[in-house]
Amino acid sequence: MDERFTAVLLPFLKFHTDGPLEPESDLRGLGLDSMQAIDLLFAIEDAYGISLPDEAMNDTTFATAGNLWKEVSAVLTGQPGAAAPGTGAA
Amino acid sequence: MSDTRYAPPPGPDTQARPGDANTTPVPDAPDAPGTGFAGRLRRALEPLPDDAGAADVWRALGRGGITAALYASGHPAGPVELDRLGALLAALDARGDNGVTLSVLVQTASALPLLANAPGERCATARARVLAGDARVALAATDEGAPGSDLTALTTRVAVRGGQLALDGGKRWITNALGAGYLLVLARQRPGRHFTGFSWVLVPADTPGVTVTPADTSLLARSGTGHLRFDGVRLTPDHMVGRPGRALADFARHMATERIAGAYWAVALTSRVLRATQDRLAHRVADGRPLWQNPVVRRDFAACLVRVTQLRALLDTVTRRVTADRDLAWAGLLKAAVGLEADAVLSRCAELQGADGMAADGAHRIRAEAAVLGIGGGATDLMLAQVADRAETFLDVLGAHP
Repeated sequence: MDERFTAVLLPFLKFHTDGPLEPESDLRGLGLDSMQAIDLLFAIEDAYGISLPDEAMNDTTFATAGNLWKEVSAVLTGQPGAAAPGTGAA
Repeated sequence: MSDTRYAPPPGPDTQARPGDANTTPVPDAPDAPGTGFAGRLRRALEPLPDDAGAADVWRALGRGGITAALYASGHPAGPVELDRLGALLAALDARGDNGVTLSVLVQTASALPLLANAPGERCATARARVLAGDARVALAATDEGAPGSDLTALTTRVAVRGGQLALDGGKRWITNALGAGYLLVLARQRPGRHFTGFSWVLVPADTPGVTVTPADTSLLARSGTGHLRFDGVRLTPDHMVGRPGRALADFARHMATERIAGAYWAVALTSRVLRATQDRLAHRVADGRPLWQNPVVRRDFAACLVRVTQLRALLDTVTRRVTADRDLAWAGLLKAAVGLEADAVLSRCAELQGADGMAADGAHRIRAEAAVLGIGGGATDLMLAQVADRAETFLDVLGAHP
């Protein structure tokens, strides 16, 4: 996860205390509810100038910081993300 | 002069499409007296009788090019011209039929921009008919299976079966349900509460399996508010609107427009009632003096005037924030202020008007109808919770020095 990603993500995590954000950090547990996830989606797409693919639009993508970063970085590098067909992700 | 066009966060499907009607750009400023937006608006509304209903008003706005002129490109995929939308709502409010104003507000600020996301000939035809005023569209989000403040719990569902969409469920308290040619229905595609599990479905109102019943209320009578049932509704897949998994995101994208529009209407409505209240106070005599000369009455009236002036100033501030920064949290703060201030001002005005406020279309009825400003599109309590969630953002701005 790059610094810009965590900078965009952290304001949405109202229950996150000091400390590093780990890939396995549970976003819902840190305060990201479903409707706030929409604002996060906009913030990420604005920050990187990208559009997450339709296949990534599911709750697994937004479950952890690592899952979300995996989809963002996949778009940035042009590689298939975790949600791409055949990877087994929901 | 600041730019008051609001372009929502860009979606991939928000470009005007060939074949859409009314794609001629509309000039921003009036060209000559009577030929600008204000003149066209006046000419569109003046011929209408005082008791014109939502269908007649919508037709006049469409045929007069007013509806298309609300969008920078003449197409609802384009940025919304917020100053024009505000002028339209003020002009409608001056006609005094809150139901008609609500009907137009929902279609122009939310339903049409959402419909702009729809690809395909079928949706383009619907969009063109609505823009031209030949049909109305109802935005059907509030579900019979969940409160409006809990959209992700909705139970109306759409599934793909045998190559067709199958829609079942119900919607409640839907503006324009009665008389709409099209219903834009928010439905669940997957179980769970995540925002990616929903879709918009464009349903022609005469589709078999669709039932419309009037809402049991005398308020906002001409808003066409009613309840919808979908029982075994079958549609071809081209009735699906927008990209998979993005229905609620698309909805949120346009929510800021509706909240700013609601504030424009609230300012117009409270100003109208304040003026009527002042007029009554000036002509109502107690102890040989007009009530307007009573210090307590004047103080309360002035407090209401301050509230409305603050709301107008907040509207300008939020419009700048939303258009420049696209931070939708500010629109939520504005919505909370509208819910709080409109009710406070209208309640006090109704009291100041005494028994006259109880008249058939008097201040008490207006106050009751204006309660929709604190309910529709996000209840005031929900908006306040969102303000609390973003408290640091607002405090940072309040505490900042130039």
